[in-house]
Amino acid sequence: MTWLRVIAASLLLVAACRADQAPRRRPPPGPPTFAVEIHVPERLTGVATGDVDDLGRPVRASCVSCHSLRDAAPIPTSMAALDEFHQGIQYAHGELPCASCHLAGPTPALHRADGTRVDLRDAITLCRQCHGPQATDYDHGAHGGMNGHWDRSVGGQTRNHCVDCHDPHAPRFQPSWPVLPPRDRGITGAAPRSK
Amino acid sequence: MSDPVETITPAAPPLPPALSYLRFLATALRRSFSGSWRFYAWMTVLTAIALVGLNGWGHQLQSGMQVTRLSDHVSWGLYIANFTFGVGLAAGAVMMVIPAYLYDDHDMHDVVIIGELLAIAAIAVCIGFIVVDMGRPDRLWHILPGIGRFHWPVSMLTWDVLVLNGYLLINLHIAGYLMYQRYRGRQPRKRWYLPFVFLSIGWAISIHTVTAFLYQGLGGRPFWNTALLAPRFLATAFISGPAFVIVLLHIIRWSGRLTFGDGPIRTLTSIMRVTVLLNLFMLMSELFTALYSGGAHAAAVKYLFFGLHGKHALVPYIWTAVALNVASAVLLFLPRTRVDRRWLLAACGCAFVGVYLEKGMGLIIPGFVPSTLHEVVEYTPSITEWKVTAGIWALGLLILTVALKVGLAMWTGRVRAPDALPVAADADAE
Amino acid sequence: MSGPSRRVALKVVGATLGAGAFAYAGQPVAQWAAGIDVDQVLQRHYKELTPEELAQILRRIEVETQKKYGVEVHVEDIPPQDGVSFGYALNLTRCIGCRKCAEACHHENNHDRPTNNSYIRVLEMQQGSFAMEHGTVDYDHAVPAPGKYYMPVQCHQCDNAPCVKVCPVEATWKERDGIVVVDYNWCIGCRYCEAACPYHARRFNWRAPEIPADEINPNQGYLSNRIRPQGVVEKCTFCLHRTRKGLLPACLEACPTGARVFGNLLDPTSEIRYVLEHKRVYVLKEELGTRPRFFYFFDK
Repeated sequence: MTWLRVIAASLLLVAACRADQAPRRRPPPGPPTFAVEIHVPERLTGVATGDVDDLGRPVRASCVSCHSLRDAAPIPTSMAALDEFHQGIQYAHGELPCASCHLAGPTPALHRADGTRVDLRDAITLCRQCHGPQATDYDHGAHGGMNGHWDRSVGGQTRNHCVDCHDPHAPRFQPSWPVLPPRDRGITGAAPRSK
Repeated sequence: MSDPVETITPAAPPLPPALSYLRFLATALRRSFSGSWRFYAWMTVLTAIALVGLNGWGHQLQSGMQVTRLSDHVSWGLYIANFTFGVGLAAGAVMMVIPAYLYDDHDMHDVVIIGELLAIAAIAVCIGFIVVDMGRPDRLWHILPGIGRFHWPVSMLTWDVLVLNGYLLINLHIAGYLMYQRYRGRQPRKRWYLPFVFLSIGWAISIHTVTAFLYQGLGGRPFWNTALLAPRFLATAFISGPAFVIVLLHIIRWSGRLTFGDGPIRTLTSIMRVTVLLNLFMLMSELFTALYSGGAHAAAVKYLFFGLHGKHALVPYIWTAVALNVASAVLLFLPRTRVDRRWLLAACGCAFVGVYLEKGMGLIIPGFVPSTLHEVVEYTPSITEWKVTAGIWALGLLILTVALKVGLAMWTGRVRAPDALPVAADADAE
Repeated sequence: MSGPSRRVALKVVGATLGAGAFAYAGQPVAQWAAGIDVDQVLQRHYKELTPEELAQILRRIEVETQKKYGVEVHVEDIPPQDGVSFGYALNLTRCIGCRKCAEACHHENNHDRPTNNSYIRVLEMQQGSFAMEHGTVDYDHAVPAPGKYYMPVQCHQCDNAPCVKVCPVEATWKERDGIVVVDYNWCIGCRYCEAACPYHARRFNWRAPEIPADEINPNQGYLSNRIRPQGVVEKCTFCLHRTRKGLLPACLEACPTGARVFGNLLDPTSEIRYVLEHKRVYVLKEELGTRPRFFYFFDK
């Protein structure tokens, strides 16, 4: 009788056991075909007017809206000489004078150390001149925020421009207030309550 | 005292084995529900407590484990603390078996069954604590070998499942076999219980070693990650087990259900004298290692004994535990204790409570404080946790009471099958 | 009444009262048992499911989520890719401790709202010390504060993970692309993995998560951010419902300073490989031998 019971029990166990399915796999990623886009921040294409439109959005004026109508003043030597839309700029970028980056001329532009003209949108070129280590890190994705894909065979990446985080006139990264303080039981000591 | 002696002369021809076994079970069941008014009162109180625990567990099942005061920082608490202590108690029950069978201590033979029945009740308590600590007890089948997925031999928890259930089955077999043979008035055959007895001795050591290894193997928890944990577990098991059994033996003797000499009590007391000192020595060793070298690894010990960063909830518990252990050591060595039963019982009480505090809250909680990111988060159990804990201990006592009542009645031959052969008055169960 | 029949009568009364007390006390257990979904209880381990069974289970989860949270979600199962092995690095010079990564994780992974649960825990550390004893988690002032640096900690997807070793039912395992995952429908909630993890990476669902319907992220993965049931353990999965599709994890996208770097360790041109080859990277608690895939580095 015992051997019958043993067989019945083993059959039951065998029926209940199941082998693993073959693991599902997908092919490896392909070569990167999508580009890395660099975001162009608003600051490089215009100035804030201080006004808001009917929907409450701040109104920005593009550079050409004034610079195409009249001649630009000469590059000042100090902040006090700024007037109209460029008043009130805080300056804290070392001992650099305005002319070491800004190029005099009818349209706003920048210049490299050897005098080559650089469009405002390509301001990164200037940052790279002095901030080499950060620039190398940036090129390899180790500095500065990004959105999109790590796998550029599937989609592209958008990277922050230097100016997205660092105001060129006062580049220090501004402090902020931390979000989402932990409220688990370890911190509050109490059972979680509904909000 | 009110159980009548059942008739000895066979009144009917013997039943076939299966039916006879069923009658044995039916008799055991019937005997579990009848007794003196004291028995009824005791069982009613225990049942009431067990039902309170059941209700508390039900709330936990419905609302989730948020009804406990556990957190992601201290994720094991009262339940696992009691589980750990319960495993020690179950292992300690084997303390009766070793002298009886390894050293041929004939005095012990009379009372060995008590240790086995205690082991069964203690394992039931351990299983109870595991089930209530699980987040998803409805998925218990996942851990069954061959049916679920059993991560053996890598996960120490799977070893624990095997050894604890194995220990339960071994003891159920030994106790059940001996009881059944006595019930039938037959001589128990050595080959059906002696190998299991020797197996249970090694197995008892293994249950507590495996449970210690559960904690010992975690590199991220420096308070537990010490080679001394398994030896300390065994030492404390062999304090709590004998302490409980000595008290139990006194109660049984007082009830008159079994007569035995002083031999067993003296043997167990001698064992306790050694293990209490061993435990204190190992405690000293742990304290020295942590406090002499200092550093972050000593933080848990500092928290436990002296408090850390203003948090000191466990300090009174551990010092009480140490004081109780020292008191029991002193009491056990006083000459008065050999003579005065009350001093012995006091020593056992001190030892039992001291080990309960030290091994329960004094072992599990400091493993989590400070957390792995060095946050100090304290833990005190909630009312629901206390209810469930009390309920499970009440269930264990219920099982123990019934097991002893029925078991001792059958062991001493007071309850026998109608077709049992008459057994000679001085027959031994060898 | 004579002796025996009084005894019997008392026993009957006692038994009836007992049965009544048992039924009353056991009500919550009975209610819980009645509410159990049999299909879910009998469900087998993820690795043993055929594609059809898995598809059925995903549909069932979508239906349950709709019923419980009132929102339509889409739960997918995305297998790992060959030739991909994920790594993550964190630049401690750039981290400012704003906890936006923790917030992004909170929203992306459908975490419980009242506890602000997140897989990421950010420590504010003292400059000049690696000692976590001097770290705080609930700092509440403008960041970065002077004299401090910030260290976010999340699951390191260790190559020698203690959590994988200790799970008694193999509910957690390491996938071929390096991510350590949990089958939430297999986990029995014993919390051994939570005790074993040296990095406080695991979270337990002490109750079912509470999330308002309009905040639920409907793009869910079976092994990652689908809304977990009560009583199971969960952890960071490197957003595998995103990263296995080639996207960046949510925490990285939210980081305003670009302190986080993620990619395929097997691709020599990846950003993560650049960091490992050119920066002085280290891992937490290296002496434990867990071999994490989460690396910390300073720029200076």
